[in-house]
Amino acid sequence: MEKVECIVVGGGLAGLVAAYGLAREGVEVMVLERGNYAGAKNVTGGRLYMRPLRRIYPELWDDMPFERPVARELITMLGDGAATTVELASERLSGPSPQSYTIQRAKLDQWLADKATAAGAMVVTDMKADELLRDGERVIGVRAGGDEVGAEVTIIAEGVLGLLSGGAGLREQPRAADHAVGFKEIIELPPGVIEDRWRLNEGEGAAQLFMGDVTRGMTGGGFLYTNRASIALGVVVSMEQMRTRSDELESWELLDAFKEAAQIKPLVRGGELAEYSAHAVFEGGIDKLPRSYGAGYLLAGEAAGFALNALVTVRGMDLAIASGWAAARAALAARAAGDSSAAALAVYERFLRETFVMRAMEAGRGVPRAIENRRLFSEYPGAVARLLEGFFAVDDESSATLVRTSLRGARREFLKIDTLKDLWSLRKV
Amino acid sequence: MDIAVCVKTNPDLQLMRVKDRAPVLEAVPFKVGDLDKNALEAALLLRDAAGDGRVVAVTVSEGDRKIRETMKEALAIGADEAVIVSDPALDQSDQAGVALALAGAIGKAGPFDLVLFGEGSTDGYSGQVPSRVAELLGLPEIGYARSLQSTGAVLRAERSMGESIETLETALPAAVTVVSEINEPRIPSLMNIMKAGKKPVVEYALGDLALDAAAVAPRRAVRSNLAEEQSRKHVLFDGEPAAQAEALINALVAEGVLGR
Repeated sequence: MEKVECIVVGGGLAGLVAAYGLAREGVEVMVLERGNYAGAKNVTGGRLYMRPLRRIYPELWDDMPFERPVARELITMLGDGAATTVELASERLSGPSPQSYTIQRAKLDQWLADKATAAGAMVVTDMKADELLRDGERVIGVRAGGDEVGAEVTIIAEGVLGLLSGGAGLREQPRAADHAVGFKEIIELPPGVIEDRWRLNEGEGAAQLFMGDVTRGMTGGGFLYTNRASIALGVVVSMEQMRTRSDELESWELLDAFKEAAQIKPLVRGGELAEYSAHAVFEGGIDKLPRSYGAGYLLAGEAAGFALNALVTVRGMDLAIASGWAAARAALAARAAGDSSAAALAVYERFLRETFVMRAMEAGRGVPRAIENRRLFSEYPGAVARLLEGFFAVDDESSATLVRTSLRGARREFLKIDTLKDLWSLRKV
Repeated sequence: MDIAVCVKTNPDLQLMRVKDRAPVLEAVPFKVGDLDKNALEAALLLRDAAGDGRVVAVTVSEGDRKIRETMKEALAIGADEAVIVSDPALDQSDQAGVALALAGAIGKAGPFDLVLFGEGSTDGYSGQVPSRVAELLGLPEIGYARSLQSTGAVLRAERSMGESIETLETALPAAVTVVSEINEPRIPSLMNIMKAGKKPVVEYALGDLALDAAAVAPRRAVRSNLAEEQSRKHVLFDGEPAAQAEALINALVAEGVLGR
């Protein structure tokens, strides 16, 4: 059997960063990617949080192919025929070291694959890993395209569904209850139109998140990210709530309806549909994480459950990159010790804790339960709008002062036992 | 049988979109050209049928296209060696300049019994380069081969002529271009992809081939390769069907589309 030192299954962010980290230390590493280029099978909403990543391989990010640094954040609540938007534009969002960038995976992943290749990694595309090779408990390599290749350490960064690791019993088979499904369209618009529509300086970008009617009360939300010459518009919704609906609603219809909503239509006007994609997202949280290492293998990225639902946004790419980095370090430590047993690779967990990955997963512990609460997605967006409508209303009957009207409205809409309970449940989110 | 196969790094057409009458190449991966894969497959079959010899993939640099990755792909498919002519002067070159560089490299890496090409490149598809290389090397050329057989000294080719099939024989060495129906290119196995990294890759600069930037400088500029846009007149006729038909016929006659 042909052998390499390390095999990485999956040419996404986790796998490619791991391969880069190993190759730059002279490790013989081979990445197997089933798509016909790195990034071919990957879907993102569109935003990568960069600040925590700059410490990881600082030399790597200088020429990252980003779309726009996010300079304006908007959260829009849709409900009861109204939209209420909270908006933040801050120098601290963008500035010399922007917090986040909009990106497109087809470009980002190919760029990262080039970095890994230049460092000496072998990135094989059009090559699906069919099976993990085992020797008892130990993972000793993979079978791909009819050939068997051995490896001292196999880094499994195969993405959300974990077919390979699940098939080998290294983690549980995925359950709908722990996943959301996302749909996204890329709609092309001229850069100047994007800058005018979201009131951006040249080259800057916006991120707009939507909750409420987008998901018809189900857990999830809508998102809109501005790329350089297009926008990414999409919906993420709980798979389980979608699956157990009694009506005939299909999940993709949510995106169609979202696009047609009165508040969204002017944002996409004149745009040309360039791309459509859909993907599953893990949102089981820290309590559902599989064991991320064992004899001869490491799990990284979403295959290891590193994705985070933070109410209306889903975060995963920065966790994938950091876990890829930690996996490379663990494999390097195993190589230095000449030992790739489970005990030796357990050091991976320590490296993960040293990064923000486990802190972020820990911080998100309460989220999965909190977001099961449908009032967040059905009642409150409308209630907020009604309160503000009272504030802005001018009619015959309004004799009370503004402050009194608002206070009365706030009492009516929010001073309920359920609301207080919900606030309490959200305190940790 | 020693065979040189000319290979071009081309965009993956399945992943390319057209917007405003121009290709969108952003984020589109580049690979061995589609028809070049047929030429490579034909070369491998001829080599294996002969029982000995080597297949050498030859290419020239072209801007920021990743020709070294393409050569790795050609080696994974089964070429034994790769030859690259790399020079910034080739970035702006045309078919004449590229043919000079290819002919120079083939001459230097040879001798070869056969030089194979796809009938055209996936992107430019001018189909000029094979004949230019054949002329520069003084080789007889057979174009559009849909099958190839070699008896050692003689090569027999069937050519697709649209309505008919022509069978030609030529003494070797010769140059041949192939069409896509000649074979089904193989998909490289993981083992062969892994072995490809260890196969020899030779790189020449123009100077190594007794050429310079002036020799490959473009002699002509392409102003447009778009089909002419036809404007439509958008004439609508109202009235009863018979009156509409009458008006339509009159209009077509006035345009000279229908005769008297």
